[in-house]
Amino acid sequence: MRTTWQVLRGPDGRLAAALTLPFLAFIGLFLLFPTIVVVTKALTPDGQFGLSAVQSALSGSYGRGFWNSTVLSATSALIGGLIGIALAATVRDLQRPAWLRSAVDSWSAVASQLGGVPLGFAFIATLGAQGVLTRLFATGGIDLAGLGVTVTGFWGLVVVYLYFQIPLMFLVMVPALQGVRRSWQEAAAILGAGPFTFWWRVGIPIVAPAALGGMLLLFVNAFAAYATVYVLNPSAQLVPLQIRFLLQGNVITGEEDLGNAIVACVIALLLTSLLLMTALQRRTLRWVNT
Amino acid sequence: MRSVARAVFLCALGAYFAIPMLAMARFAFQAVPVALLTPETMFTGWSLGPLISAISDPMTLRAAWISLTLALLAVALNLALLVPAAIVVEVRAPQLRPLLVGLTLLPWVVPPIALVVGVAGTFRLTAPWFLASTYSLVPFYALWALPFTYRALDAGLRAFNARTLYEAARVLGASLPVVIARILLPNMRASITAAGALTIAFVFGEFAFASLLLKSTLPTYLVVYQGSDPRGGLALALLVMVLTALVIWLLVRSLRRQRVSIQPVGV
Repeated sequence: MRTTWQVLRGPDGRLAAALTLPFLAFIGLFLLFPTIVVVTKALTPDGQFGLSAVQSALSGSYGRGFWNSTVLSATSALIGGLIGIALAATVRDLQRPAWLRSAVDSWSAVASQLGGVPLGFAFIATLGAQGVLTRLFATGGIDLAGLGVTVTGFWGLVVVYLYFQIPLMFLVMVPALQGVRRSWQEAAAILGAGPFTFWWRVGIPIVAPAALGGMLLLFVNAFAAYATVYVLNPSAQLVPLQIRFLLQGNVITGEEDLGNAIVACVIALLLTSLLLMTALQRRTLRWVNT
Repeated sequence: MRSVARAVFLCALGAYFAIPMLAMARFAFQAVPVALLTPETMFTGWSLGPLISAISDPMTLRAAWISLTLALLAVALNLALLVPAAIVVEVRAPQLRPLLVGLTLLPWVVPPIALVVGVAGTFRLTAPWFLASTYSLVPFYALWALPFTYRALDAGLRAFNARTLYEAARVLGASLPVVIARILLPNMRASITAAGALTIAFVFGEFAFASLLLKSTLPTYLVVYQGSDPRGGLALALLVMVLTALVIWLLVRSLRRQRVSIQPVGV
């Protein structure tokens, strides 16, 4: 850490350190300390190192919960990601109604933040047993619940999650698509490339890292979502709801470390996803910034 | 042909985003059960009654007041910790940038539903008085706002070349505190506002952590209230949603006018 030392020695060095230390102490106390304790407890179930707690967190009904959460998050990230890319690409080429572009921009900023309890309520009023759409389709002779589309089921949750996933992906993709210069497209056209060839050979390879990184962000976002699914189906077999179950004291003796082990697995999964995302972003920035 | 496909795609998405909001508003404000909904009854039974009785309930006002206090305290704590750190790293120690970027991404790795287990397992034993207070939520809310707020502040600092201004002011004899107070902070007004607004939006939406620590905030109160008064609960939730949307929308607009490009995404 020679560089840090140089900062301390230079002008304003001590003051600079004093201004940064409270922040570092804050992260250490409220984020790192509880996290490290959880991971340590998860890896030392009987007072010494062992993987038994982690193993039980990944097997049986808890293992199924982990699998369900992963599949739900991945599905909503993939579909939300593709629709978000399509929306960003559509709006990019759109010139004429000037208001539409800024409306989509603003709405995405808003909707990407609208998770939680109110969103759950909104979808109960839409696709619940007494929902408007359920009723509308029923008058048309289509039984949505019979087709497996309920707000409590897997595809229902995917539909609900898309409400914040699509706008989030849009926000990620807009700057990335701006990196694909129009001049490149024109240059490719002069050299004889049609739009398809241009996107296949130039556009997609440039945008792909941002798209994959965005989808990883969506995956992390969906995995951590709790309020919406709590409102829609509190008994769903998903990791966040199982954590709630364990935290509320429904623990059999000898399983105290199970909650810690589940959390440790979640952290490991999310950390891997975000490290991958950061690596992919770095590849994107190379094009966007130059 | 392509423009038709484009219009269909945009209209379908528009419907997907509009219908749940409209359905929610209908359920809250129209006293007609879904089963009896026909073209004739479409415009009957509308009233703002459920919303008015919901917001005149003293418990609602209390929950709203608690959330507002938590939000303002979280904004203050978040800015008090992060603004100095972001400034120092930008103007004085750019080699520490990757560290700050990484640290402010960590709250994504340990989301509320995960950290709550660690917090319950540590602070409940070492400092039970701390978790007993509703205000114990403040530091954690300030923490989860970091991914948004750091990127907002960082974009703000880079937009006006903070490092060059710092070096120029230092050469002319200003001390670091003077540079911060008289040059950097005034230039950061837009990004500080953005950071604050995003933190407020987060606090008014956060449910998992408050609920599992048995705190009564506006989002947890929504669920309780909806249990006793379904229509009033939805009316209240709609109001919270509209107000949150308004805050973010105003923010996006004001930032666009000032030509600051800040992503309301925490990456």
